[in-house]
Parts: sequence; C-alpha cells; structure tokens
Amino acid sequence: MLTLENMPDHLCQWLACNGPRHDVVVSSRVRLARNLMAFPFMTKASDVQRDQIQSTLRRQLLGIPAANGQLYVEMAATSDIDRQMLMERHLISRQLASADGSKGVFISDDETLSVMVNEEDHLRIQSIQPGLQIQSCWLHADKIDDQLEANLDFAFSDKLGYLTACPTNIGTGLRVSVMMHLPALQLTGKIDQIKQAAKDMRLAIRGLYGEGTEAFGDFYQISNQTTLGRSEQEILEEFSEQVIPRILEAEENARAILVAETPMVLDDRIGRALGVLRNARLLTAEEALFHLSFLRLGVALKRVSGIDLAHVNKLFLLSQTAHLQRTLSKPMDEITRKAARADFLREKLTGGTF
Amino acid sequence: MGVKNHAVATRRLLGQAPGCYDLRPISMADFTGDDMSCDRCKKPATVHIKEISGGSVRELHLCEQCAASQGMVAQKHATFFESVNALIVGPHAEELQNLRCPDCGMTWREFKDLGLLGCVRDYEIFAVQLGPWIQTAQAGGTHHSGKTPNARQRNGPDYGRQKADIARMKVELARAVSDEDYRQAAELRDKIKAIEEKIS
Repeated sequence: MLTLENMPDHLCQWLACNGPRHDVVVSSRVRLARNLMAFPFMTKASDVQRDQIQSTLRRQLLGIPAANGQLYVEMAATSDIDRQMLMERHLISRQLASADGSKGVFISDDETLSVMVNEEDHLRIQSIQPGLQIQSCWLHADKIDDQLEANLDFAFSDKLGYLTACPTNIGTGLRVSVMMHLPALQLTGKIDQIKQAAKDMRLAIRGLYGEGTEAFGDFYQISNQTTLGRSEQEILEEFSEQVIPRILEAEENARAILVAETPMVLDDRIGRALGVLRNARLLTAEEALFHLSFLRLGVALKRVSGIDLAHVNKLFLLSQTAHLQRTLSKPMDEITRKAARADFLREKLTGGTF
Repeated sequence: MGVKNHAVATRRLLGQAPGCYDLRPISMADFTGDDMSCDRCKKPATVHIKEISGGSVRELHLCEQCAASQGMVAQKHATFFESVNALIVGPHAEELQNLRCPDCGMTWREFKDLGLLGCVRDYEIFAVQLGPWIQTAQAGGTHHSGKTPNARQRNGPDYGRQKADIARMKVELARAVSDEDYRQAAELRDKIKAIEEKIS
C-alpha cells in the first residue's frame, strides 16, 4: 500500500515507459476543475469553510471504489520535503505544495489518479498515464468525476458550464497536458518555431513543473488554454489527432536529421553527457537534467545500449532534490546534496555501453 | 427647456439577478422633459443618468461642462453603444470598478487584481464586464458545449439555480437566526422547504 514513507521507492506508473510513443511523449494528463456549489471559491472561503470543503471531499474521495489502497495527504500535516516530493512526482502543483491552510491531495495506489483539494478550485481531478494516452486519461478522470458527482453538487451553469474560480477554466474545466521530451528540436534550434506555432493555436507550452517553470532537461508540457465553446471530445481530439502528432513528427524529423547529417555532433553530446554523469563529483539538479536529457536521447536513438528508457526516467525523478533527500533519508546542505546527486548517478550509470 | 443633446442612459437591474446590469439607452419616455439644473453648478442640465438599483431610483443631472469634466461626453441621439461606452468610461467606470457581489463581497477591481472570482454568483454580478473578458480569454467561446452533470440532466435546467438558491438562503437563515430576526428566519425556512420538496 502506498504511503508517503515508501513513495520514493515506488515507481510512478507514468514513468514506466510502457505507453505509446514513450520515446518522445513522457506522459499524458487530463485535469478537470470542479467546485462545490454550496461554498464560495477559495479566494472568499473562510478557514472554517475550507475545512468543511476538505472534510467533505476527503470523505467522498476515500469512498471511491478502487482496486487497491489509496492515500489522502493533508498538506498541513506534511513536511516541506514531502510536499516537494509530491510535486516532483507531478501529483500536486507548485501552488498546492507552497500554500498554507486546509488543503490536501488524494492519490490512487498506482499514482495515475490524483485529486487536489482546495487548490485554485475546490477540486482538481487529474489522471496521468505514461506515453500518449489522452483518451484513456479522459475516461479515467470522467469516471471519477461521475462518481463524485453522484453525491456532490458541482457549480454549473447551462451557458458557462462548470464554473471555476478563474474564468479561463470555465465550460469543460478540462485541461489536457502532454509532457514531451524534445531535445532534438532544442538542439536544431527549431523549438522556437514550435513555440510560436503553439501560441498561434492558443496552446500553452510550459516547463517541467508547469506554470512559470523552465524547460529543464528539454521537457515541455503542452496544454490547451481554452475550455469554453468546444466539447471535451473536440478538445481531446484536437490534441491526439493534430497537436501532438505534429510536434511528435517535428521531433522525429529533427532526430533523423541529427543522425543523418551530424552524427558526430549528436554522439559528442551523448558522450559528454555520459562522461559527466559517470565522473562528476558535484552536480546541481539543473546540470543533471541537462545531461540526462542527452542520455535519454542517446538511449531512444539506440546509440547507447544496456540502459533502457525506464531506467533513465527513474534517474530523472530520483536525482531531484526531494527524492534524493528522502532516498538518503537525511537533510542535506547544498554541497552535500550536489555530492549525493553525483554519487547516486555515478552508481546508477555503471552499466551501458556507448 | 427643449429635449436636445441628451446623452441618457439607464442602468436597469435584471429582475432575477440583483446587481446584474442591463445597459440600454433610455428612451424619451423615460425622460420627464422638465427643466432641470445641473446637480453640480446649477446651469441647465442636459445630461441625465438614471440608475435603478434594488428598487430605488437614483438620478444624476449634469450640464455639458460638468459632464465633460466627469469624462462623460454629451452626444445627440446617443446610440446604444455610445451610451454604454459613456457609462464605462464616464463617472460610472468608478462604480463598475467597485461593483460588489452581495454574496461573497468580491469587487470587480479585486477580481482584476487577483484574476480569480470569489463565488458562483460573481458570474452574474459581473456579467457585463466578464462577457468580453471571457470571450477574449476563450478565443471567442461563449457557450458551454460539453459535459452536463447527471443530476442536472435528471432534474432539469433549473436544478443548479435552485440548489444555489438553497445554499444562499441557508446562509441568510443563519444570519437571521443570529440577528434574532425570527420572522425572516421562518420565511426563509419555508422557502427552503418548498424548493427542496420540488427538487427532491
């Protein structure tokens, strides 16, 4: 059974690398924003109301029939390091991790479902799956929404659909978000074109941890910005049939060009990455992500053998600050953390030939 | 005084949604035609603003100069949009900024700072200002065309409104009880009961 204690050893389902197109698409995510009709939105909810919202939703969430055990984490009782760990696993947002007050998250045993309580909206239902599986995420989130709605009254208007604290989420309350690894587009300088095209299509491109974060390790989250006026299926289909296939194709083409035209440059990057990861004694999180990104590209293009993508994905997660600290179960200052990160990666990358 | 150069606008409250303004130019029938002097300088007033709010009517009469100094430009035969614009750029801009939701206390100004609304009712209270804002943010989307909660499908389109009314009245009921206004409390209790019976 999943607990906060054993979570670092638990491999997130979405990192498993068994989803379609996992060489480029790390994970797919569908999020539904919902609010209880009987309470004000978070900006105007009193502490007492926030507690009432959380206890109501907690009870409902733990009542959802699920195959395995499940976890509800109250933020107030959770240490900073565990909050950061949940964020690194994409189970909670930065906002939920950093804010005080009555907030929590429900997590299914396989970590494919997380429901944030009292984030920007009362409920944020989130389904996350490995690879390109947008429809499957939707089906999961939709089912949970139905189960919750059987006992709860969500704020809804016929004209504006589901009502949310921010009017940018009204209507479906649906945000589709696909995390892609785009090192070749970055390397060939085409990423800016993709960013522009995305902007023209009213899509948001964000970094590894969503809003306001940088694209460390060449990971990009692509998501829709409009939620009103189109049905869920229209939004989902635009993503799975147009948006993502196009970006996927662009990344594949860029990879093919690198292999065909500048293999030496490509191999130099991969070799340097392995060199640093296998030999460095001090590594910042940012530097580790930078090199792991080229290692991931090398593995995906089969220029490195003996290491699989799931292993690299795991290293991405476990070399991040909170995970590192939890795995080694001791608080660390900056220098010992850098040393611990370098030691960890050195130890995990003894195998593999290039 | 003849009826000329009148830029006149009425802010009329929608019956169902107090605080939700319907902007329309006042017709001549709305105007009494009596000679009036400017509320500020006593010169003949040529700009008239009538505001009906919560059953009380507030009228403002200004001369052209005072109206202009308030940012309100008098125009002959004001069209609908001109009169609306006059309201939005004129002295009422300030009032719109301070428009407050009676349920949660959110003002339009506060929303613009936060980017977040305070409660479901804000969507009605700020409907006029939010409309264009939403349309821009949603790339032209104005109407929901997706999933509808099952309870709503079962219970008809008024279901949400009725549930919201109950929630609101329960808050008022608690207030009435703590204010020892038992007559009001009894009225509210009966209203809540009636709606609950209807939708159960």
